[in-house]
Amino acid sequence: MRSDVRDELRRWFGADARALDVLTDTELAQLHEVMAAAKASQAKALAAASEEAMRQMPAVLRQGIGRILGR
Amino acid sequence: MGHDLATKAELVKLARALDTTPERVAFATTLDHGEVRRLREQVVGVLYDEHRAAFQRVATITRFLPTPLNVRIALRAFSPLLAARIAGEMPAERAAELANRMPVDYLAEACVHLDPRRAAPLLTRIEPNRVLAVVAELVNRGDFITLGRLLDAASEKIVGDVAATVPDDALLRIGFYAESDSRLTRAVLVLPPERLRSVVHRAMTGPEDLRSAGLSLIGRLTDDALRGRLANHAAELGFDAHTAMLHTALSDGAVPELLTAVAAMDEPSRKRVLTLPALTESGMLLRLHAAAPDHPLWSTLTNHALVRRLLA
Repeated sequence: MRSDVRDELRRWFGADARALDVLTDTELAQLHEVMAAAKASQAKALAAASEEAMRQMPAVLRQGIGRILGR
Repeated sequence: MGHDLATKAELVKLARALDTTPERVAFATTLDHGEVRRLREQVVGVLYDEHRAAFQRVATITRFLPTPLNVRIALRAFSPLLAARIAGEMPAERAAELANRMPVDYLAEACVHLDPRRAAPLLTRIEPNRVLAVVAELVNRGDFITLGRLLDAASEKIVGDVAATVPDDALLRIGFYAESDSRLTRAVLVLPPERLRSVVHRAMTGPEDLRSAGLSLIGRLTDDALRGRLANHAAELGFDAHTAMLHTALSDGAVPELLTAVAAMDEPSRKRVLTLPALTESGMLLRLHAAAPDHPLWSTLTNHALVRRLLA
C-alpha cells in the first residue's frame, strides 16, 4: 500500500485511531477510498447548498453574508 | 470476525456516516463492534469538523437577526442539510427557538444531518409535541438509524411519549440502532407492562429482522430483572415462534443472546422452552454449544437430559 494513504488516514483520524493499526493494507485502502469519497461528496453538497442559499438570500443580506463566507 | 448483531448494526451506521452502502464498508468486518464504533466516531469527527469555521460564521450572523427573520431566511435559503450544520454551531437555545417555528418535514430531514455530538442539548429544548411529530415523520420514512441516534439525546418523557405512539415494529428497529445500552434499557423500562409484552411477542412472531432486533435487545439490556421479564414474555409463545427464533440466532451469530434469554427466564418458562422439538434435531445442541461454549447457561442446565449428554 502507498504509505501516503496510511499517512493521510492518520492525519484525518489522529494518532490514536486504533483501527488503522488493525486493518490490512487492502482494508486501509478501501477505508481511504470511501472516506475520500465522503469528504468530496460532502464538500460538493455543502457548496451546492451554500450557492443555493446565496441565490435565495434577500438582496440586502447577500453581500454581507457573502463577505463573511469569504466570497 | 465481526458477524454478530452489534457489529452488523455498527457497520450499517458506519456506512450511513460515510454516505455509502454497507457493502462498501465490508473492510471493517474484521473489527469488533467497539472498534467499528470508534472508527465511525472518528469519521463523524472529521466530516463534521471539516467545514466548521464557515458554519460558525453563519451561526454568528443569526445572533443579530430576530428569530422570525432567521426562520424566514433559513426556510427560503437553506437546505435542511445546511440548516442542520449551522444549527450545530449555534447555542442550543437559539437553535431550538428556530426549530420550534419550522415545518416538521424540514426538521426531520435536518435531523438526519445534525451533528450527533451536538444533538442532545438541542433536542431537550425543542417543544415535546414537535419532537414527537418529527419522530413520527422519521418512522414514516423508515429512518431508524437517525431515530436510534436520537434516542440517546431524548428525555425520558419524550421516550415515554414516543413509546405510546410508535408501533412495536418501529420500537424494535429503533432499539437495534440505539447508541447506548444503558439508554436503551431506560427506554425499555418506561414501557407499560402490556406494551412490553406486545413488543416481545412482535419480535418473536414478526419478520426475521424483528427477531434479530429482539435478540439484540435482550443481549444489550443492562437490567437483569427487565431481561427476565422480556425472556418470560418470549417463553409465553408457541414452538413455532421459538423455532424461528432459534434459527435466526444461529444465522445471525446471536446464539449468546439466545442463551442469555433462556438463562434469564424463570424456571417454569425455561423448562418449557427446553422441550422445544427443534432442540432434539440432530446436532442442534452441539451447534449451539459450539457457537457459545463458555456461556454460563450450560453449567446451569446439567439436569437437562439432552444437555447432560452433550456435556458428557
